[in-house]
Amino acid sequence: MDWAKDSLERLESTREERLSSKPPKLSTGEAEKLLYEYHPDYSGMQRSIRVGPNASNEKFPHELADILEADSQLPLDFEPSTDVETDVLILGGGGAGAATAIALEGAGFNVHLATKLRLGDSNTVMAEGGIQASLGKGDSARRHFADAYVGGHGENGSSLLRVLCENSADTIHWLGKLGCMLDRNEDGTFRLRSGGGTSIPRVLACKDYTGLEIMRVLKDAVLLSSTQTLEEHAAIELLDDGEGQVTGAVLWDRNKGGLITVSARAVILATGGSGQLRFQGFPTSNHLGAMGDGLVLAYRQGCKLVNADSHQYHPSGTAYPESMAGQLVTESIRSAGAQVVNAQGERFTGEMVLRDTLAAAIIREVSENRGVKTHSGRVGVWLDTPLIDLKNGNGTIRRQFPGIVHRFERYKIDLAKQPILIYPTLHYQNGGIQIDEDGRTEVKGLWASGEVTGGIHGTNRLMGNSLLDITVFGQRAAKSVQNNLPSRRPVTLTRLREFREKLKGLHGRKAILSPQLFPALTGMKISFEKKTEPLENNFSSTSSFSLDPPDPFSQ
Amino acid sequence: METFEIKVAGKPIRARSGETVIHALWNAGMPELIKTGCVGGVCGACTVTVRSPNGKINGTDLACMCPVEEGMEVFPCSVDAVPTIASEPNPSADKLRVAYPTLDRCTKCGSCTASCPMSIPVMDSVLRMRSDQLNEVADDFTTCINCGLCRFVCEDGVLPHVMGMWVRRSIGSSRESAKNNTLEVASEQIELEWKYLLDGDSTLRMKHAQQFRENGEIES
Repeated sequence: MDWAKDSLERLESTREERLSSKPPKLSTGEAEKLLYEYHPDYSGMQRSIRVGPNASNEKFPHELADILEADSQLPLDFEPSTDVETDVLILGGGGAGAATAIALEGAGFNVHLATKLRLGDSNTVMAEGGIQASLGKGDSARRHFADAYVGGHGENGSSLLRVLCENSADTIHWLGKLGCMLDRNEDGTFRLRSGGGTSIPRVLACKDYTGLEIMRVLKDAVLLSSTQTLEEHAAIELLDDGEGQVTGAVLWDRNKGGLITVSARAVILATGGSGQLRFQGFPTSNHLGAMGDGLVLAYRQGCKLVNADSHQYHPSGTAYPESMAGQLVTESIRSAGAQVVNAQGERFTGEMVLRDTLAAAIIREVSENRGVKTHSGRVGVWLDTPLIDLKNGNGTIRRQFPGIVHRFERYKIDLAKQPILIYPTLHYQNGGIQIDEDGRTEVKGLWASGEVTGGIHGTNRLMGNSLLDITVFGQRAAKSVQNNLPSRRPVTLTRLREFREKLKGLHGRKAILSPQLFPALTGMKISFEKKTEPLENNFSSTSSFSLDPPDPFSQ
Repeated sequence: METFEIKVAGKPIRARSGETVIHALWNAGMPELIKTGCVGGVCGACTVTVRSPNGKINGTDLACMCPVEEGMEVFPCSVDAVPTIASEPNPSADKLRVAYPTLDRCTKCGSCTASCPMSIPVMDSVLRMRSDQLNEVADDFTTCINCGLCRFVCEDGVLPHVMGMWVRRSIGSSRESAKNNTLEVASEQIELEWKYLLDGDSTLRMKHAQQFRENGEIES
């Protein structure tokens, strides 16, 4: 990183002194002012929408408002006619969808899980830092609640948050039974770390691969269950019975082309977040499919969205190298001792303040010219990672954060020796579909769980509460569906027709269709035409001829 | 910005120095050539083989993590999922053999280790599976993203990635629950604390929550 030589030298010259320094204190009033002046949620790049249950009340980021006011991808002449009949249809193949499917196993239902990408390709698998559970000495579900409530600025739905906190220990146990290996101390107890806004160490982890560990275990459990998985099947629209009950969905088979009508007695939306909408041009730590699909589908059915103007900009997104822009650098690396330092080599805030506050502080530093600029034009501040080994002994960072070390190694950046450049990255959808404590939406037949829902985390989620959210509420939605499964009703597009009528009166809408499914910058195309089978496929399916060499070990 | 030509699935495209293969494909309008998932190196969807003209890189990679290089050729190689097998309590090499008879097929060629985008010592770990060092195996596979490249390159049909996961799940589910200390609190006290946190208007609730964070108790 020769291009930043001067600034790096300044940083190194202050390291010794910073090692034992206390971070600058921030009063509640100062933190609020910082948010108001610099956090992207308050930038004024929001507008109200003119249709649906949230019409003219709240404001939404422009990019989200545009897709909520957009027309459906479904052709006008499409008429649903059942191709697949199932009891429960889960939409989404991340942690929430998988947890729901696993919890439904044994209930005797026919369960289908449809996912736009492959099972497990999700934000869950990308989560690094950990999962909160009140297992420490002196900790309790109440204390967990108090932390998350203050962290969420009191905008949390109290009863939802209480459910989240009260179920943490059981959920960790559940994950353990499925085979998750979370890091332990030598005495066999779970290793607990602090996160921003936790008043006591409460974050359990599997190195810096916690989401990967949880997702691959959940994925295997789904594959071992009777759930029928429909990979690369994107949900295009929800179906209803004409009397306000959701009764299924229209899916697009990305591989074969064509639309499939699924009739279901219950639908569970677990479609995740919307980071790839890249509000205000921010980079994102989210996976390719995080396009807010579920918000659009539920909104057309009349589901209210809560706190949908609130998004989490994770303070430590990668700003250099360019090809990694936006990728997550876990918060626990700060908890382990890495400091956030500006171009002058100064600490400007505590590293473990709330995520929104730290993100705003970084944006302030940069906008007041105390940031570092890359040759690609990105800006950021330093995350002084060598401090971790200085504080805890050589090899600590490599041992505790193998994922991040591995990713930067490729660019010859050794985190034990040099700092990395960070800038806030669009990370999490704080708000979403309104649900009750059992994952029920306001619309009969429709449940939701995970990042697509809103209310639990208020307007700022604490580290480690989303992996807990998906597992707790994924299971609760399953239980609720099991106890309240509606009878089968007809599949119609009544709600969509009504929505389309309302759109007719709206002028100045963007000429886009939604859900958009994939980020515009990828150029991925949506076509419902049935693809013709390639010749080779026909060939191999009608004969036993194989190009593979014979297996010498068979028989 | 410096641009140059690379080939993906035989198709020439212009790429910009400093971007990954996936970003180059997006920019060239050919996003569907390689299956893509997380774009962050952990889902394992975008497995490819890579050949560079100077012979420097020749092998497998994740397209979303692979920076472009002038003249490189990239070939998509999606790896199909292998059916998973239920874990066993208190796993051993013998139980692993029953679940995956392919274990003993390994001829120690080392292709799997060379193919791993996460730098896992796959072959060594397969040998550790044979000799019943399963805790070490679980550790080796901590960073496994299940992309399946090790299986893809294996001439002998060993299935290292799913075996590694089987070992991890089996060990994980056989572990005793951790005995972390939580306070034993009487249920009346618990209800009192919830009341303290949940009752009143938003200002009072915030005040109580802030107070409760200090030591986890109601201020006396």
